[in-house]
Amino acid sequence: MSLFDALAISFRNLFRPKVTEPLPWKQARPRADRYRASFALVHDEHGEEACIGCKMCEKICPSQIITVTPGGKVESPATGKKRGTCADFTLDLNACIVCELCVQVCPTDAIIMVRVQEKPGFDRTDLLLTMERLYANEHKPLAWSSGSVLVGMQDPKRVAPAAPGEGED
Amino acid sequence: MRMPLDLLLPSWPDPHLDLGEYDPEADLVALNMGPQHPSTHGVLRVKLYLDGETVVKAVPYVGYLHRGVEKLCEKLTYVQITPIVDKNDYVSPMMNEWAVNAAFEALLGVEPPPRAQYMRTIFAEIQRIASHLISIGTWGLDMGGAIGGGATVFLYCLRERELILDLFEEVTGCRFHYNTHTVGGMRHDLPAGWDKRAKAVLDRISARTWEYERFLLDNPICRQRAEGIAVVDPTLAMELGVSGPILRASGVDYDMRRDAPYGAYGDIDIQVPVRTEGDALARALVRIAEMRESARIASTLLDGVPEGPIGALKPVKLHGAVKLKDGEEGYAAIESPRGELGTYVVAARERRGAASPYRLKIRSPSYHAISLLPWLCPGHTLSDVVVIIGSIDPIMGEVDR
Repeated sequence: MSLFDALAISFRNLFRPKVTEPLPWKQARPRADRYRASFALVHDEHGEEACIGCKMCEKICPSQIITVTPGGKVESPATGKKRGTCADFTLDLNACIVCELCVQVCPTDAIIMVRVQEKPGFDRTDLLLTMERLYANEHKPLAWSSGSVLVGMQDPKRVAPAAPGEGED
Repeated sequence: MRMPLDLLLPSWPDPHLDLGEYDPEADLVALNMGPQHPSTHGVLRVKLYLDGETVVKAVPYVGYLHRGVEKLCEKLTYVQITPIVDKNDYVSPMMNEWAVNAAFEALLGVEPPPRAQYMRTIFAEIQRIASHLISIGTWGLDMGGAIGGGATVFLYCLRERELILDLFEEVTGCRFHYNTHTVGGMRHDLPAGWDKRAKAVLDRISARTWEYERFLLDNPICRQRAEGIAVVDPTLAMELGVSGPILRASGVDYDMRRDAPYGAYGDIDIQVPVRTEGDALARALVRIAEMRESARIASTLLDGVPEGPIGALKPVKLHGAVKLKDGEEGYAAIESPRGELGTYVVAARERRGAASPYRLKIRSPSYHAISLLPWLCPGHTLSDVVVIIGSIDPIMGEVDR
């Protein structure tokens, strides 16, 4: 028991590999596939906007940051069925707690998490995700979870574990 | 010494009123430590009455971080509460989620499936290690940059904690504030190969715990500052409702994981580390021993995670998906890194909507630990107060809620 024993431990740690990264010069390690940072609205397989303006995400959001203005019902040119549309969609990322509940309740998998953070801004409106910005985020790396994936994973009748579905970039 | 069932009330002198033979106007200097002092772990304010450098009286003031979480929970539905209570004890968010959801499940009469129970227990134990790493590290930082202590221990501890946050990021998608518990189970399943990576991390951390222990024990500067400082009397601690490592460092062998098993703790044999010294150093050593034990528990449980569903209820698709019966009430508690973390829920009367609680009370262990300060500080010097606050490890987000 002496000061030199404590110093010996410090000395051992001198030869351990570095854990820090020189960030501006080297890319940070890739984020996990489930990483959630920002939001995107996506188009469905027919190329239409997937959001039907059902307001489920607005209702479940604990910080009440989502505002959905539903549009009228229109006939879809691809499927020929009547479907709802969304006239305006605003998500205030300033107060978002990234809980992923809006993604889970979405019936059409329209809202998806993005793995890249938004750039910090100088104004509160810089983090206000309007509908245009949300649809532009669609081309960023998307997180792995969507409403149907989360619900399939949590299904109480599930027998085998869901395929992890990782690795897709 | 086991926890006695009947807690007698001996007459402790009330440190809030009693100033002894001092004249507060003439002899003493009143000094406010905090709420923005770097060593008060957030926004704790302690009003100290000093005679020279010796503390005569200490009065903690809380409430600087009050966010009205309990009132907010009355407005939110049971589904929405989980991500909100994450922010209470912001060093161990998994525990908060489990505590509220355990209360809701007890009221609903829902038992999570075994896979969810195992996942909860494993996450809780890994989170306990992360929380204790912060506790040990910041305590070393509080004691100044002495050789072997100070910033060295802090950085080594945070280096290991990063590995744990990476593990949680892989499962839940967040490094913090996970929102991975839900009523009746879990929201995210384990990804393939996660158990192997988790085991590697746990092995690495438990192999390094001896370093933190040696840093504290081999360092004469650290020992002189921590040994014999702020000895907690077990009877006083039990009377104030203190639990967790503070109580176990004072010789009371009480751990809810073993004494009232919940989750998957019933399937495993838990060795509870207990020390009898009761001083600041003993509390740190109990935390280090708990880290080692938690790594062992989590590794053992990782071997036997059963297959199957992770939720007992239908996946949440509506904000009012979970409803409790009119006026039901109940309490559930878990052993958080700081002690007994409980939730008392009173379900809403019908006219208020059955999907949100009428009242939700969070019993936070840090709040009770803070109430020890008036008894611990008098007689010690001002610089010891820093060590004392660090050794009881309060999280102000949990104290004020």
